[in-house]
Amino acid sequence: MASARRVAVTGLGLVNPFGGDLADFFGRMLRGESAVRLFTRKDEVTRPLAVPAVRCANFDAEAALGRSLPYTMDRYSQLGTTAALSAWRDAGLPATKDAPRNDWGVSWGTALGGTLTFENGYFDLLRNGRERVPPLSVVLGMSNAAASHISIQLGLGASCATYSVACASSAVAIGEALSKFRSGEVTLMVVGGSEAPLSYGVVRAWEAMRILALGDEASAARACRPFSSDRQGLVLGEGAGAMILEDWDHAVRRGARIYAEFAGCGSTSDHDHLVRPNADGQMRAMRMAIQDGGLAPEDIDYINAHGTATREGDPIEIAAIRGVFGSRSGAVAVSATKSMHGHMLGASGVIEAIITVLSLASQEAPPTAHLDDLDRECTGVRHVTGGSLRGSLRAALSNSFAFGGSNTVLAFRAVH
Amino acid sequence: MKQDNLTLLSEFLHKRENIDPARVTPETSLEELKVDSLLLLELLFEFEDKLGVAIPHDIPPPKTVGDLLGIVDGLKVGKDA
Repeated sequence: MASARRVAVTGLGLVNPFGGDLADFFGRMLRGESAVRLFTRKDEVTRPLAVPAVRCANFDAEAALGRSLPYTMDRYSQLGTTAALSAWRDAGLPATKDAPRNDWGVSWGTALGGTLTFENGYFDLLRNGRERVPPLSVVLGMSNAAASHISIQLGLGASCATYSVACASSAVAIGEALSKFRSGEVTLMVVGGSEAPLSYGVVRAWEAMRILALGDEASAARACRPFSSDRQGLVLGEGAGAMILEDWDHAVRRGARIYAEFAGCGSTSDHDHLVRPNADGQMRAMRMAIQDGGLAPEDIDYINAHGTATREGDPIEIAAIRGVFGSRSGAVAVSATKSMHGHMLGASGVIEAIITVLSLASQEAPPTAHLDDLDRECTGVRHVTGGSLRGSLRAALSNSFAFGGSNTVLAFRAVH
Repeated sequence: MKQDNLTLLSEFLHKRENIDPARVTPETSLEELKVDSLLLLELLFEFEDKLGVAIPHDIPPPKTVGDLLGIVDGLKVGKDA
């Protein structure tokens, strides 16, 4: 049920693999451009990695954060803080910390936190013959480090919490912020998530699950093909995204640009299986988000799907969408942008929420890339393929369905 | 005061915090050089690594560069230093 207190999205920021700004990133999404490349990593001891992946290769932590700060951060915090500062500037908020911001907070998501720091520590101990690990390992590795850095940099005194819900982490973080606005606890929140998962151990672990898409130099860009009959799995990626959520009246009073309204959220658990998704749990989450946002299924014109390109997951999500939208399913535009930006695990929810918000703001939604041969099990919705979709987009959902069976759906409403 | 240790300290602070080595004298307070508790941990680790020494856990918290160097200078250098 809709609350009297409305929430505006007034700032967007990200660190993305293309290396450009927000407009550049969204333009590439609309054109169906893939950021997936063959990722290789090797040293003298470990079997080399060579998998299609998404890497923010041009990210320069010192240029973004100054000389000192990056030393106190794992890469996931560097990416996250940079995205948050970018969203902050995008929202036109002041760089100074003069005024107390004790009703402004942070709600962040990461699946793996400082996994690169942990791996480096194990390398030191178990392979390099060292007897100890660097003294900042604890504060680099801890999963709430990115959120705390953001709070410190921006002087935010309200709640600073981190949610780790696998691939739905940042979607959960965004959703949890909504209730804080409605209760009156906060006026402004920096929300989002960050992930830097390209360690040997993490890539090998996903390989062992046999759901990583394979590829070489030539084929890597097309490796992730959601809803396609020849899809072969997901592509890991690193990145970060942040949104500034703001009490609607506060945003209007300061004359902020409002990209969209964050209308509602639905979170459910499949309570069924650790990795096999369940259409019922996903349907309940979509219905809950629609109802929570004071919307009806008829109002939803676009869904940014979870769409990871696994054999098992894609048809179940499409079945869930058909279940919620019934005879109108064929009119609901659906795309899976992981085909281009990969699966950024805990950061996926916010990256896709940003794409959803920009789709509403520009009235143009991106396609699922590489979808030339639609799987018969994935039919029944309006797949956006080939190029972007222009049209009236009144409200949209962003789906995030995590391993563990945790589902979170975010609902956004266009402002014009 | 061992000059080498002062140099090691000023080089570390220059690399990490862009601090002018001329500012790093025995009288300078660590606070003035923005050496907080985390940076102090890194400095102690750096000294241990470079000199092959073990700095005891129960040292009195150093307030100045001279205090810190006094702790380090007094330690027996390990054979792999």
